Amino acid sequence: MSSNTQNDGEDEDTLINVADGVDHQVAMVMDLNKCIGCQTCTIACKSLWTEDGGSEYMYWNNVETKPGEGYPRGWEESGGGWQSGEHTDRQTGEIPDREDYGRAWEFNHEEIMYEGSDEPLRPRDGAEWGPNWDEDEGAGEYPNSYYFYLPRICNHCTHPSCVEACPRSALYKREEDGIVLVDQDRCRGYRYCVEGCPYKKVYYNTVSKKSEKCIFCYPRIEGEGPDGETFAPACAEECPPQLRLVGFLDDEDGPIYKLVEEYEVALPLHPEFQTQPNVYYIPPFAPPQHTDEGESVDVDRIPRQYLRELFGDRVDEALDTIERERQRARQGADSELMEILQDKNPAEQYRLEVFEDD
Amino acid sequence: MSEHDIDDDRWMDSSGITRRDFVRGLGAASIVGATGLSFADEEMDGLQAVDDPIGSYPYREWEDLYREEWDWDSVARSTHSVNCTGSCSWNVYVKDGQVWREEQAGDYPVIDEDLPDPNPRGCQKGACYTDYVNADQRVLHPLRRTGERGEGQWERISWDEALTEIADHVIDEVQAGRYDAISGFTPIPAMSPVSFASGSRLVNLLGGVSHSFYDWYSDLPPGQPITWGTQTDNAESADWHNADYIIAWGSNINVTRIPDAKYFLDAGYEGAKRVGIFTDYSQTAIHTDEWLAPEGGTDTALALGMAQTIVDEELYDESHLKEQTDMPLLVREDTGKFLRAGEVGLAADADDPDKVFVMVDEDGELRPAPGSLGERDGQHDPESSIELDFDPQLGVERSVETDDGEVAVRSVWENLREELSQYTPAFVHEETGVGENTYQRVAREFADADAAKIIHGKGVNDWYHNDLGNRAIQLLVTLTGNLGEPGTGLDHYVGQEKIWTFHGWKTLSFPTGSVRGVPTTLWTYFHAGILDNTDPDTAEKIRESIDEGWMPVYPEEREDGSWPDPSTMFVWRGNYFNQAKGNVAVEEQLWPKLDLVVDINFRMDSTAMYSDIVLPAASHYEKHDLNMTDMHTYVHPFTPAVEPLGEAKSDWEIFRLLAEKIQERAQERGVEPVEDRSFDREIDLTTIYDDYVRDWETGEEGALEDGREASEFVLEHSEESNPADSDEQITFADTVEQPQRLEAAGDHWTSDIEDGAPYVPWQDYVQDKQPWPTFTGRQQYYVDHDWFLELGEELPTHKEGPQDTGGDYPLSYNTPHSRWSIHSTWRENTKMLRLQRGEPTVFLNPEDAEERGIEDGDTVEVYNDMGSVEVQAKIYPSGDPGTVRHFFSWEKFQYPGRDNFNTLVPMYMKPTQLVQYPEDTGEHLYFFPNYWGPTGVNSDVNVDVRLTDGQSGSGDEQRESVGVRPAGGDDQ
Repeated sequence: MSSNTQNDGEDEDTLINVADGVDHQVAMVMDLNKCIGCQTCTIACKSLWTEDGGSEYMYWNNVETKPGEGYPRGWEESGGGWQSGEHTDRQTGEIPDREDYGRAWEFNHEEIMYEGSDEPLRPRDGAEWGPNWDEDEGAGEYPNSYYFYLPRICNHCTHPSCVEACPRSALYKREEDGIVLVDQDRCRGYRYCVEGCPYKKVYYNTVSKKSEKCIFCYPRIEGEGPDGETFAPACAEECPPQLRLVGFLDDEDGPIYKLVEEYEVALPLHPEFQTQPNVYYIPPFAPPQHTDEGESVDVDRIPRQYLRELFGDRVDEALDTIERERQRARQGADSELMEILQDKNPAEQYRLEVFEDD
Repeated sequence: MSEHDIDDDRWMDSSGITRRDFVRGLGAASIVGATGLSFADEEMDGLQAVDDPIGSYPYREWEDLYREEWDWDSVARSTHSVNCTGSCSWNVYVKDGQVWREEQAGDYPVIDEDLPDPNPRGCQKGACYTDYVNADQRVLHPLRRTGERGEGQWERISWDEALTEIADHVIDEVQAGRYDAISGFTPIPAMSPVSFASGSRLVNLLGGVSHSFYDWYSDLPPGQPITWGTQTDNAESADWHNADYIIAWGSNINVTRIPDAKYFLDAGYEGAKRVGIFTDYSQTAIHTDEWLAPEGGTDTALALGMAQTIVDEELYDESHLKEQTDMPLLVREDTGKFLRAGEVGLAADADDPDKVFVMVDEDGELRPAPGSLGERDGQHDPESSIELDFDPQLGVERSVETDDGEVAVRSVWENLREELSQYTPAFVHEETGVGENTYQRVAREFADADAAKIIHGKGVNDWYHNDLGNRAIQLLVTLTGNLGEPGTGLDHYVGQEKIWTFHGWKTLSFPTGSVRGVPTTLWTYFHAGILDNTDPDTAEKIRESIDEGWMPVYPEEREDGSWPDPSTMFVWRGNYFNQAKGNVAVEEQLWPKLDLVVDINFRMDSTAMYSDIVLPAASHYEKHDLNMTDMHTYVHPFTPAVEPLGEAKSDWEIFRLLAEKIQERAQERGVEPVEDRSFDREIDLTTIYDDYVRDWETGEEGALEDGREASEFVLEHSEESNPADSDEQITFADTVEQPQRLEAAGDHWTSDIEDGAPYVPWQDYVQDKQPWPTFTGRQQYYVDHDWFLELGEELPTHKEGPQDTGGDYPLSYNTPHSRWSIHSTWRENTKMLRLQRGEPTVFLNPEDAEERGIEDGDTVEVYNDMGSVEVQAKIYPSGDPGTVRHFFSWEKFQYPGRDNFNTLVPMYMKPTQLVQYPEDTGEHLYFFPNYWGPTGVNSDVNVDVRLTDGQSGSGDEQRESVGVRPAGGDDQ
């Protein structure tokens, strides 16, 4: 029903892909080579939007160790998305179990500190799994083990299967910026959207009985606070290494366009889900492997096939481009790409007001 | 807290569709239809149609729901008083009279546009400090213990009752001459100098004891006072970006320096090569260009191997070595002592020719070394110079005619070459496991780089031989001349010990100028019984150091030869009891000696739990103070976003009120002033409040009533914020407006702060040629102290650490810093625990776990002769086999049985860190709190791990005496 078919992006030379009926598309690029797993983004989001009222277990923004189960556990295997790039038939999905998200544990601080309990401080109902349970674990064997961090928010997809899944049409994509929202008046909590999102980035609120999701902090980007000041989403603004660029995919003067369309180093996660995400990732590189004798050896530490599974086959070319430009920088040559990837220009990091006069 | 927990049935059933239905395909779009409106559901009746929810959704009024949440009433600038070195300025948002959330202020002024933006600084912990303000852990009222220490049983008492009880106790102690049995422990002034000063000022007026912390926490790198005559001096983190080659050596900056990590990450895109040296494939190693993995405790061998490559292949900076180091100085072969000018009739006009050193010039003539201690005015002498007007020879091996006759001498350089020659590639590989070609190539690359830097941290500083490790790694930057220029140096970041506004802080904290400072490692272990529980050599050296007056212990020995016990302890801004190494002995031997333990805290931490009286302190969002770090060159404030919760008060107000109560009670009791037994002063409790609130610099009475006034005092009386030779001045109001870059660097820094450039240390010596503040006036790699010679440590050398620490067990015990807490702060925070496993974990290599039948998630015991702790096993494939990683700082109450991570760590320390040097006068190495003193190390400990319900063998039989162990503790 929804999508633009002429700009569907199969052809490398086409213009950027904004959904039909959407004027501009917000986008984010996250540089995985700068993600240190500190979860400041996670806390920034949680403190702002999901503190109570049945949302305690939700992490609209989460950071997971890869390889790993992720949040919710096993989301990559949970179905959803589209059967093909035609966007006519959805892929069946599953709603994760409560335990796959992990419960928002409550603790016995007061009993221990003020009531004389000799129990240790513990989650009251035990803890079997949580949103970051397999942190830092990864895969492989020492000294050639590997892991990296993957921050995730809603992808605000160009072809959002969650929107398609809702029988009440309670999800929609905003005309002015392509942000995907769940109408909290219209939603009745059927959770077809939870099932339909292959990234499992729509959550069910057990108290309001409605689904909720990342709103790309639209009140911040609209400048709706008491000071009227525009802010990027909290996950981006609060990120200590500033690994996120925020702007519009169709802002051809902006760094996101350059990274996605010109250098092609920023790639969508699991493109095979066919939703066309608007969050892009700079894929990770890692130090080389060691031989048994402790010598560095020119072998990829992160298996390339694993990265292809995450980011598609274009990951090889993206990594080659980054390595080539890093070599140029080492030799003292100018590299526009290397400059874009550094946090030297806050005005370019967040380009949110470029279409305000439209 | 949650009242919204729901059961699984409601989770699944609220819409009547179960997960199984979805799996069967009932949820597939093909059934629902293209628009969804064909779905048969009575709730759909009357629902307005949506034509196309992509782009043209008509019912958007509801969006105001989230817009209304994005609202607040006021914003205050504040930060966090935690020893993380972050010093990050935050905006605290207040809504309906409560703190709602915080977000980085993001307005540090830019130093240089070619550097990464300094904003925002922060981390996930800072981003949820709000939770602490209203937490269950919050101490809301003065509390007096009713159960045993640690039991968590309290009665609420009034402020007046609490202060009166403490005041009367303190008056009794002082009047009985036991003022030096009163201890005040608070760490790290830079994170909140006014709060630091609040209690320190009162303790100082009482004649009590102020505790060191930087050495106690093993954050002090002893190699820096030994070699560079300086506590530590580091580049601010922005300078990392200026390096062409960076080695992160045992410094897990992506975990422990989250606000600064960007300078390391971005440097990789700027063209720098980043090498990580870590025993595990750490969270920083993953973002390096090359990772070296030496076996634990072998960093010294690796560094000396790299040094050998640089020396052997002549990749060193010869002019730097000649001018800036002791390498050309002559050493007597017979005694191992430096040849002194007085022995060969040189430097006769120097103040002390026996403290002037000797070089050989290009013609073979003996020459006095300029800048030697014997010809300069004390440790620091900016009027003196090490500049050479001749070209000294590096490699000297000859004899000289002395008063004692003909003596064979060799230069330090020749001695060093001989030492380094042992570090062959085969030896280094055998010792460290690092590939021969790999480490030599890294050494060459490091030497070749224009600007090379080492970021050095706790991973290599927690070992018994940390001084040797420091000296070996320092040698690499010295050999290659990587000092004093942008992008160079050895930046040691462990703890926020160094404060910019030094003079203001010092005079606020210690107004009398007569300070009973104590090395906390020695004080703690002495009173916990180390003399009876360490090896005889160490015990003898401890006694000798105390007898010689090299290191003090309080209460001091009385004239009748008795040693009183400490009686009273105030702890604020820190968690001394939880963090004490030798924890078993501290709990069983030291703690019972204390008649009164008072903890001042916003939260109920382990020290508060084991105290007698707990006083409720204002949180970080409820007071005025300042905040600084040596990771950057800005100062910014704490300001109150809200009033203190409950009956809480700021630290400054609490100690001021205590001073007032002491004065009131002392006057009522009619006590007389007490003559201080060491200092020329009287301790007069009848005026102690007046003294507390007086500005001792100006004499103004009643000037320091509150934290804001005290903050202004610090800024006004410091060179960094109010330089003597300038009209520029930073006021508290300026810092509230925006973080302020400091104006200048005072005497405790080794370079100036320059506009447009990050701070880089050592320029006073490297550029300006002032003598280094060492015995020789140069970077000193050779130390001819008797104890160093006796132990064979006159030069950096690789030694195995003690082998039996904790007993004979096969695994190494490592307690790194976690990303999830700043020491124990946030350790028990609900939001942080939900992103871990909710309880303490131990990281095990998969092979080690499998051998013991342990699987991820099992409950295991980590044990040695000291005791055992019960924790959850987490399998960590990136951990080296043979090492158990138990992130430190979990609170005692997070373990069953109330043991903790420090239970497994016995008391041990190294005698070379108890010396004075030169032995007679000590200008180079002398006890000064946090500058020089024994470090409380903890990385040489052996343990094993087993399933909790495994075989017997715990408890008493494990506690056989093997090596160094504390007294007592048989009932663990």
